[in-house]
Amino acid sequence: MEAGVIDRYVADLDGRLRGPRAAKDDLLTETRDSLVDAVEAHLESGLSSSAAERRAIEEFGPVGTIARAYQAELAVSAGTRTLVTIAVVLPLMHVMWELNRWFFIGAWDPHMDAPPAWYLWLAKVNDMTGIVAAGVAFAALLVGRYLCRGRTHSATMGKLASGLALCSVAAVMTGQVAIMAATWHVDVRMLLLSPPVTIASAISLVILIWLGVLARRCLSCATIVR
Amino acid sequence: MKPDALRGHLDALLLATLDGRQLHGYAIIEALQQGSGGVLDLPTGTVYPALRRLERAGHVSSDWSTVGGRQRRTYRLTSSGQRALSAERSAWREFTSVIDGVLGGGKWKQV
Repeated sequence: MEAGVIDRYVADLDGRLRGPRAAKDDLLTETRDSLVDAVEAHLESGLSSSAAERRAIEEFGPVGTIARAYQAELAVSAGTRTLVTIAVVLPLMHVMWELNRWFFIGAWDPHMDAPPAWYLWLAKVNDMTGIVAAGVAFAALLVGRYLCRGRTHSATMGKLASGLALCSVAAVMTGQVAIMAATWHVDVRMLLLSPPVTIASAISLVILIWLGVLARRCLSCATIVR
Repeated sequence: MKPDALRGHLDALLLATLDGRQLHGYAIIEALQQGSGGVLDLPTGTVYPALRRLERAGHVSSDWSTVGGRQRRTYRLTSSGQRALSAERSAWREFTSVIDGVLGGGKWKQV
Protein backbone atom coordinates (compact mmCIF):
# COMPACT_ATOMS: atom_id res chain seq x y z
CA MET A 1 0.00 0.00 0.00
CA GLU A 2 1.27 3.48 -0.85
CA ALA A 3 1.69 5.64 2.17
CA GLY A 4 2.43 8.90 0.36
CA VAL A 5 -0.97 10.58 0.64
CA ILE A 6 -1.41 9.52 4.26
CA ASP A 7 2.13 10.59 5.14
CA ARG A 8 1.54 14.01 3.62
CA TYR A 9 -1.76 14.42 5.47
CA VAL A 10 -0.22 13.42 8.82
CA ALA A 11 2.85 15.64 8.18
CA ASP A 12 0.55 18.58 7.34
CA LEU A 13 -1.42 17.99 10.54
CA ASP A 14 1.81 17.65 12.54
CA GLY A 15 3.06 20.98 11.19
CA ARG A 16 -0.13 22.79 12.30
CA LEU A 17 -0.15 21.47 15.88
CA ARG A 18 1.60 22.81 18.99
CA GLY A 19 1.58 21.10 22.34
CA PRO A 20 3.11 18.46 24.62
CA ARG A 21 5.12 16.02 22.50
CA ALA A 22 3.61 12.83 23.98
CA ALA A 23 -0.01 13.99 23.60
CA LYS A 24 0.67 15.18 20.05
CA ASP A 25 2.42 11.92 19.08
CA ASP A 26 -0.52 9.93 20.50
CA LEU A 27 -3.02 11.86 18.38
CA LEU A 28 -0.88 11.59 15.24
CA THR A 29 -0.31 7.83 15.75
CA GLU A 30 -4.06 7.30 16.10
CA THR A 31 -4.67 9.43 13.02
CA ARG A 32 -2.26 7.39 10.92
CA ASP A 33 -3.72 4.09 12.25
CA SER A 34 -7.24 5.26 11.51
CA LEU A 35 -6.33 6.31 7.96
CA VAL A 36 -4.54 3.00 7.31
CA ASP A 37 -7.60 1.11 8.64
CA ALA A 38 -9.90 3.16 6.41
CA VAL A 39 -7.71 2.52 3.35
CA GLU A 40 -7.74 -1.23 4.07
CA ALA A 41 -11.53 -1.19 4.43
CA HIS A 42 -11.93 0.64 1.11
CA LEU A 43 -9.49 -1.72 -0.64
CA GLU A 44 -11.59 -4.65 0.60
CA SER A 45 -14.67 -2.99 -0.82
CA GLY A 46 -13.02 -2.98 -4.27
CA LEU A 47 -11.54 0.52 -4.63
CA SER A 48 -8.11 0.99 -6.20
CA SER A 49 -5.22 1.91 -3.93
CA SER A 50 -5.19 5.61 -4.86
CA ALA A 51 -9.00 5.89 -4.71
CA ALA A 52 -9.02 4.17 -1.30
CA GLU A 53 -6.45 6.65 0.04
CA ARG A 54 -8.33 9.64 -1.35
CA ARG A 55 -11.60 8.39 0.15
CA ALA A 56 -9.94 7.78 3.54
CA ILE A 57 -8.55 11.33 3.61
CA GLU A 58 -11.89 12.84 2.51
CA GLU A 59 -13.76 10.95 5.21
CA PHE A 60 -11.26 11.96 7.88
CA GLY A 61 -11.95 15.63 7.18
CA PRO A 62 -10.20 18.78 5.92
CA VAL A 63 -6.83 19.10 7.64
CA GLY A 64 -7.62 22.66 8.86
CA THR A 65 -10.85 21.56 10.56
CA ILE A 66 -9.23 18.54 12.16
CA ALA A 67 -6.18 20.57 13.26
CA ARG A 68 -8.45 23.06 15.09
CA ALA A 69 -10.19 20.25 16.99
CA TYR A 70 -6.87 18.55 17.83
CA GLN A 71 -5.23 21.83 18.84
CA ALA A 72 -8.01 22.54 21.34
CA GLU A 73 -7.26 19.17 23.01
CA LEU A 74 -3.50 19.85 22.99
CA ALA A 75 -4.13 23.26 24.58
CA VAL A 76 -6.04 21.59 27.44
CA SER A 77 -3.26 19.03 27.78
CA ALA A 78 -0.59 21.77 27.93
CA GLY A 79 -2.67 23.80 30.39
CA THR A 80 -3.20 20.81 32.67
CA ARG A 81 0.49 19.92 32.60
CA THR A 82 1.52 23.50 33.45
CA LEU A 83 -1.01 23.77 36.29
CA VAL A 84 0.14 20.41 37.75
CA THR A 85 3.75 21.60 37.55
CA ILE A 86 2.87 24.87 39.32
CA ALA A 87 0.86 23.02 42.01
CA VAL A 88 3.82 20.71 42.74
CA VAL A 89 6.92 22.85 42.16
CA LEU A 90 5.96 26.06 44.01
CA PRO A 91 5.30 24.32 47.37
CA LEU A 92 8.63 22.46 46.94
CA MET A 93 10.35 25.79 46.33
CA HIS A 94 8.71 27.11 49.50
CA VAL A 95 9.99 24.08 51.46
CA MET A 96 13.49 24.66 50.05
CA TRP A 97 13.45 28.25 51.35
CA GLU A 98 12.06 27.20 54.75
CA LEU A 99 14.87 24.63 55.12
CA ASN A 100 17.35 27.27 54.06
CA ARG A 101 16.02 29.68 56.67
CA TRP A 102 16.10 26.91 59.28
CA PHE A 103 19.62 25.67 58.63
CA PHE A 104 21.56 28.56 57.07
CA ILE A 105 19.90 31.91 57.68
CA GLY A 106 18.68 31.53 61.26
CA ALA A 107 17.70 34.47 63.46
CA TRP A 108 18.24 38.07 62.40
CA ASP A 109 21.89 39.12 62.71
CA PRO A 110 22.04 41.57 65.67
CA HIS A 111 24.96 43.40 63.96
CA MET A 112 22.70 44.32 61.06
CA ASP A 113 20.04 47.01 61.27
CA ALA A 114 16.53 45.59 61.78
CA PRO A 115 14.63 45.76 58.48
CA PRO A 116 11.78 48.24 58.14
CA ALA A 117 8.21 47.05 58.69
CA TRP A 118 7.32 47.38 54.99
CA TYR A 119 10.17 44.99 54.15
CA LEU A 120 8.90 42.36 56.58
CA TRP A 121 5.40 42.78 55.16
CA LEU A 122 6.73 42.36 51.60
CA ALA A 123 8.70 39.24 52.64
CA LYS A 124 5.54 37.73 54.16
CA VAL A 125 3.46 38.52 51.05
CA ASN A 126 6.18 37.03 48.84
CA ASP A 127 6.21 33.86 50.99
CA MET A 128 2.46 33.54 50.62
CA THR A 129 2.34 34.25 46.86
CA GLY A 130 3.90 30.91 45.91
CA ILE A 131 1.57 28.94 48.17
CA VAL A 132 -1.50 30.86 46.98
CA ALA A 133 -0.46 30.39 43.31
CA ALA A 134 -0.03 26.63 43.92
CA GLY A 135 -3.44 26.52 45.64
CA VAL A 136 -5.07 28.38 42.75
CA ALA A 137 -3.49 25.95 40.25
CA PHE A 138 -4.72 22.96 42.28
CA ALA A 139 -8.24 24.46 42.54
CA ALA A 140 -8.21 25.18 38.79
CA LEU A 141 -7.42 21.52 38.10
CA LEU A 142 -10.42 20.45 40.21
CA VAL A 143 -12.73 23.02 38.59
CA GLY A 144 -11.43 21.99 35.15
CA ARG A 145 -12.30 18.38 35.91
CA TYR A 146 -15.84 19.50 36.76
CA LEU A 147 -16.15 21.81 33.71
CA CYS A 148 -15.07 19.16 31.23
CA ARG A 149 -18.00 17.00 32.35
CA GLY A 150 -20.29 19.77 31.16
CA ARG A 151 -20.39 21.32 27.73
CA THR A 152 -17.43 23.66 28.16
CA HIS A 153 -15.53 23.77 24.88
CA SER A 154 -11.95 22.45 24.97
CA ALA A 155 -10.61 25.66 23.37
CA THR A 156 -12.14 27.72 26.22
CA MET A 157 -10.72 25.31 28.80
CA GLY A 158 -7.26 25.61 27.24
CA LYS A 159 -7.42 29.42 27.27
CA LEU A 160 -8.60 29.50 30.90
CA ALA A 161 -5.88 27.10 32.04
CA SER A 162 -3.10 28.90 30.20
CA GLY A 163 -4.27 32.34 31.35
CA LEU A 164 -4.38 31.17 34.95
CA ALA A 165 -0.95 29.53 34.66
CA LEU A 166 0.56 32.69 33.19
CA CYS A 167 -1.02 34.91 35.92
CA SER A 168 0.22 32.57 38.67
CA VAL A 169 3.78 32.53 37.35
CA ALA A 170 3.72 36.32 36.78
CA ALA A 171 2.56 36.89 40.38
CA VAL A 172 5.32 34.69 41.80
CA MET A 173 7.98 36.27 39.56
CA THR A 174 6.84 39.77 40.53
CA GLY A 175 7.07 38.77 44.21
CA GLN A 176 10.59 37.40 43.76
CA VAL A 177 11.83 40.44 41.84
CA ALA A 178 10.21 42.78 44.39
CA ILE A 179 11.81 41.05 47.38
CA MET A 180 15.23 40.98 45.69
CA ALA A 181 15.01 44.67 44.81
CA ALA A 182 13.81 45.49 48.34
CA THR A 183 16.66 43.46 49.87
CA TRP A 184 19.14 45.27 47.66
CA HIS A 185 17.68 48.56 48.87
CA VAL A 186 17.60 47.61 52.59
CA ASP A 187 20.96 45.83 52.92
CA VAL A 188 22.76 44.42 49.89
CA ARG A 189 24.83 42.06 52.12
CA MET A 190 21.68 40.01 52.76
CA LEU A 191 21.59 38.96 49.09
CA LEU A 192 24.88 37.11 49.57
CA LEU A 193 24.41 35.68 53.05
CA SER A 194 25.98 32.30 52.35
CA PRO A 195 26.62 29.88 49.45
CA PRO A 196 23.48 27.77 50.27
CA VAL A 197 21.29 30.89 50.14
CA THR A 198 22.89 31.99 46.88
CA ILE A 199 22.38 28.49 45.44
CA ALA A 200 18.71 28.52 46.58
CA SER A 201 18.27 31.93 44.92
CA ALA A 202 19.78 30.60 41.69
CA ILE A 203 17.55 27.47 41.80
CA SER A 204 14.47 29.65 42.42
CA LEU A 205 15.39 31.84 39.45
CA VAL A 206 15.85 28.81 37.16
CA ILE A 207 12.52 27.31 38.34
CA LEU A 208 10.67 30.58 37.75
CA ILE A 209 12.15 31.00 34.27
CA TRP A 210 11.21 27.39 33.48
CA LEU A 211 7.63 27.92 34.74
CA GLY A 212 7.46 31.16 32.73
CA VAL A 213 8.51 29.30 29.56
CA LEU A 214 5.93 26.54 30.25
CA ALA A 215 3.16 29.09 30.81
CA ARG A 216 4.13 31.03 27.67
CA ARG A 217 4.13 27.83 25.56
CA CYS A 218 0.82 26.85 27.08
CA LEU A 219 -0.69 30.23 26.13
CA SER A 220 0.70 29.87 22.62
CA CYS A 221 -1.00 26.42 22.34
CA ALA A 222 -4.31 27.92 23.44
CA THR A 223 -4.24 31.08 21.35
CA ILE A 224 -3.49 29.42 18.00
CA VAL A 225 -6.86 27.60 18.34
CA ARG A 226 -9.22 29.46 16.01
CA MET B 1 -27.10 13.53 8.20
CA LYS B 2 -24.76 16.54 8.20
CA PRO B 3 -22.16 17.34 10.92
CA ASP B 4 -24.10 20.44 12.08
CA ALA B 5 -27.07 18.28 13.03
CA LEU B 6 -24.79 16.06 15.09
CA ARG B 7 -23.09 18.86 17.00
CA GLY B 8 -23.83 18.39 20.68
CA HIS B 9 -24.76 14.73 20.23
CA LEU B 10 -21.38 13.28 19.32
CA ASP B 11 -20.36 12.61 22.92
CA ALA B 12 -23.60 10.72 23.61
CA LEU B 13 -23.25 8.74 20.37
CA LEU B 14 -19.71 7.73 21.31
CA LEU B 15 -20.79 6.67 24.81
CA ALA B 16 -23.60 4.58 23.31
CA THR B 17 -21.20 2.99 20.81
CA LEU B 18 -18.87 1.93 23.61
CA ASP B 19 -21.69 0.59 25.78
CA GLY B 20 -20.70 -2.94 26.87
CA ARG B 21 -17.65 -3.24 24.64
CA GLN B 22 -14.07 -2.14 24.15
CA LEU B 23 -13.16 -0.70 20.73
CA HIS B 24 -10.27 1.07 19.01
CA GLY B 25 -10.79 4.35 17.14
CA TYR B 26 -11.57 3.08 13.67
CA ALA B 27 -13.81 0.31 15.03
CA ILE B 28 -15.79 3.04 16.87
CA ILE B 29 -16.16 4.98 13.61
CA GLU B 30 -17.31 1.82 11.77
CA ALA B 31 -19.76 0.97 14.56
CA LEU B 32 -21.17 4.53 14.46
CA GLN B 33 -21.67 4.33 10.69
CA GLN B 34 -23.18 0.84 10.84
CA GLY B 35 -25.43 1.82 13.76
CA SER B 36 -26.81 4.72 11.73
CA GLY B 37 -27.22 2.66 8.57
CA GLY B 38 -24.48 4.77 6.95
CA VAL B 39 -26.48 7.99 7.40
CA LEU B 40 -24.08 9.70 9.85
CA ASP B 41 -21.78 11.91 7.81
CA LEU B 42 -19.26 13.53 10.11
CA PRO B 43 -15.52 13.93 9.47
CA THR B 44 -14.15 10.80 11.13
CA GLY B 45 -11.17 12.80 12.40
CA THR B 46 -13.45 14.65 14.84
CA VAL B 47 -14.02 11.40 16.75
CA TYR B 48 -10.51 11.38 18.27
CA PRO B 49 -10.63 14.79 20.00
CA ALA B 50 -14.12 13.86 21.25
CA LEU B 51 -12.74 10.62 22.72
CA ARG B 52 -9.96 12.62 24.44
CA ARG B 53 -12.58 14.98 25.88
CA LEU B 54 -14.60 12.03 27.21
CA GLU B 55 -11.46 10.52 28.68
CA ARG B 56 -10.60 13.79 30.41
CA ALA B 57 -14.10 13.90 31.85
CA GLY B 58 -13.55 10.39 33.24
CA HIS B 59 -16.35 8.86 31.11
CA VAL B 60 -13.98 6.74 29.02
CA SER B 61 -10.65 5.07 29.72
CA SER B 62 -8.11 3.92 27.16
CA ASP B 63 -5.13 1.59 26.84
CA TRP B 64 -2.67 0.79 24.11
CA SER B 65 -3.00 -2.88 23.14
CA THR B 66 -2.24 -5.11 20.17
CA VAL B 67 -5.27 -5.58 17.92
CA GLY B 68 -4.94 -7.32 14.53
CA GLY B 69 -1.15 -7.30 14.88
CA ARG B 70 -0.93 -3.52 15.39
CA GLN B 71 -0.63 -1.35 18.47
CA ARG B 72 -3.92 0.47 18.93
CA ARG B 73 -5.49 2.64 21.53
CA THR B 74 -8.67 0.94 22.72
CA TYR B 75 -11.46 2.69 24.62
CA ARG B 76 -14.05 1.50 27.13
CA LEU B 77 -16.75 3.11 29.25
CA THR B 78 -16.05 3.78 32.91
CA SER B 79 -18.78 3.65 35.57
CA SER B 80 -19.03 7.45 35.29
CA GLY B 81 -19.46 7.06 31.51
CA GLN B 82 -22.18 4.48 32.10
CA ARG B 83 -24.04 6.95 34.33
CA ALA B 84 -23.54 9.76 31.78
CA LEU B 85 -24.94 7.49 29.05
CA SER B 86 -28.04 6.69 31.13
CA ALA B 87 -28.58 10.43 31.72
CA GLU B 88 -28.13 11.18 28.00
CA ARG B 89 -30.64 8.46 27.07
CA SER B 90 -33.23 9.79 29.54
CA ALA B 91 -32.72 13.36 28.30
CA TRP B 92 -33.02 12.20 24.69
CA ARG B 93 -36.28 10.29 25.36
CA GLU B 94 -37.73 13.33 27.08
CA PHE B 95 -36.60 15.63 24.25
CA THR B 96 -38.00 13.43 21.45
CA SER B 97 -41.25 12.95 23.35
CA VAL B 98 -41.72 16.74 23.69
CA ILE B 99 -40.75 17.49 20.07
CA ASP B 100 -42.89 14.63 18.77
CA GLY B 101 -45.80 15.98 20.79
CA VAL B 102 -45.57 19.27 18.89
CA LEU B 103 -44.30 18.29 15.45
CA GLY B 104 -45.62 14.77 15.14
CA GLY B 105 -49.23 15.40 16.16
CA GLY B 106 -48.75 13.53 19.47
CA LYS B 107 -50.69 13.83 22.71
CA TRP B 108 -49.97 17.57 23.27
CA LYS B 109 -51.47 18.56 19.93
CA GLN B 110 -54.81 17.00 20.87
CA VAL B 111 -55.06 18.84 24.21
